[in-house]
Amino acid sequence: MTMKDDLTLLGNCTLDHDGCIVCSDAGIPVRVISIEGDDALCEDAAGNQTEIAVELVAPVTEGEILLTHGGVAIAKVQRADKLKCCRPEGGK
Amino acid sequence: MKYVDEFRNADLARAVSAEMALLVDPKRHYKIMEVCGGHTHTIYRHGIKDLLPDQVELVHGPGCPVCVLPMGRVDEGIAIAERPEVIFTCFGDMMRVPGSKGNLLEVKAEGADIRMVYSPLDALRIARENPDREVVFYAIGFETTAPSTALTLQRAKKEEIGNFSVFCNHVTIVPPVRALLDSPDLRLDAFIGPGHVSTVIGCRPYEFMPADYGKPCVVAGFEPLDLMQSVLMLIRQLDEGRCEVENQYGRAVLWEGNLKALEAMSEVFELRPYFEWRGLGFIAQSALKLSPAYADLDAELRYSTPGVRVADPKACQCGEVLKGVLKPPECKVFGTACTPERPLGALMVSSEGACAAYYNFGRKSFEKVEIGSR
Repeated sequence: MTMKDDLTLLGNCTLDHDGCIVCSDAGIPVRVISIEGDDALCEDAAGNQTEIAVELVAPVTEGEILLTHGGVAIAKVQRADKLKCCRPEGGK
Repeated sequence: MKYVDEFRNADLARAVSAEMALLVDPKRHYKIMEVCGGHTHTIYRHGIKDLLPDQVELVHGPGCPVCVLPMGRVDEGIAIAERPEVIFTCFGDMMRVPGSKGNLLEVKAEGADIRMVYSPLDALRIARENPDREVVFYAIGFETTAPSTALTLQRAKKEEIGNFSVFCNHVTIVPPVRALLDSPDLRLDAFIGPGHVSTVIGCRPYEFMPADYGKPCVVAGFEPLDLMQSVLMLIRQLDEGRCEVENQYGRAVLWEGNLKALEAMSEVFELRPYFEWRGLGFIAQSALKLSPAYADLDAELRYSTPGVRVADPKACQCGEVLKGVLKPPECKVFGTACTPERPLGALMVSSEGACAAYYNFGRKSFEKVEIGSR
C-alpha cells in the first residue's frame, strides 16, 4: 500500500483543491511528516506539504493520518489497512 | 487507483443501485434531505441522482454557511473592511457574496486591504507581521470550521496579540434542521447527516431526529459510494420500520466526536440567543459569538457593528431553495439574472451552493425538462 493510496481512502480532497473551504464541509486527509510543538508538517495525497495545527487531536505521531480543515486537524483517522471499505451487501 | 476505486467503482455503484431498486416500495415516495452542501456537490458532480430509483427524491438542505448568511452580516463585514486601519481577512468564497451595495472583492478593488486566507491561523500570522495594523478575520462556517477559529483565538490570547480580532458568524447545524422539521412547508422522510461536522460534534446530537420527530439519519462520507450506501441504509430503515441514527462514515467519525475540539469551542464561544438565517428567519441558539473571556478579541464589540437587517432582492428565491421547497431551476432568476459569474443570491456564489452545483454540472436543461413534464 502506498502513501497516496492510504490517503485517498479518506476522500480525494487535497490542499490545493478548488472547493469552498467554508461550504464544502471539506476535510482534507493528510499524513504527518514531522512534528514541532503544536504544529506538524503534513502531506496530502497530491504531495502538497503544509503546516497543520494538531493540538485538537494530540498526541500525534509521524505517519498518522489526520483529517484537516482550515489548517487545523479536526480528526485522527485509523490507518487505511484497518478501515472497512464501503462495500454493499452482495457487491463485488 | 486502489481505494479510490472502492468509493468510485462503477460496478459497486450499479450493485447498490440495483439493491435500492429491489428494496424500494414502488407505491412509496422517499423524500431525503442531504443537509450538507458538500453532499449536494457530490450528488451532482457524480450524477448520483440518475442512479437512484424514481421513488427516491433528494432535497438540498441548509448546510452551506455562506448561503445561509443574511445580507446584513455581509454589509457589516464590508463596513469593517472599509476602515483604513484594518486588514480584513476571509475565506475565498466570502469575497464574492453580494451585500446590499456590492461584495468584498469590489471593495478590495476600490482600495480596501482585504486578503484571502486559507486558515484563520494565516490571519493571525498577518497580525503578527503587521503590529501597526488591525487585522480582522471574518469567521464563518459550521462546527467543522469553528474549532479552527477557536484554536486561533486561544493562540492569539496566549500570545497577547492585541491587533487581532474575529467577526464571528459561526452557526450550528442542529437548530436549523429542527426548524425545518417544525416547518409545515416540508415533509421529509429521512436525513443524510453532514460527515465532517460530525467529526467534531459526533453522532449523538442527531438523536433528536428519531426521538422527537421519528426521522432516521445516516451520517455520510463524501465519496459517491458513501452517499449511495447512506441512501440505501435509509431506505432499509424506512422499509423495516426502524428509526435511528447510523454512522456510515465510521472511518472518520467517532460517535462522541472530537472532545478536545468541543472543549476549545466551549471555552471560546457561547450561543447567541438568536441569529438570522437566510430563508429560515431568526432561529434561537443557532449561532456562536465570542465568550466574555474573549471579548477583547471580538470585532463585533471592537467596531460596534449595528446589527443591520437587509432584505434579499425581490427576485431572489434562495430562501425557498434553502428550505428545500424549490429546486434551483424552479427559481425565477436561475441561469438568467443569477449565474456563477454574476450571482444574485449566495446559493449561486458558493462553489458548492445548491444552485451552483446544478448550474456547473449540467443539470440545468435536464431539470427544466423534468420539471416541465411533471
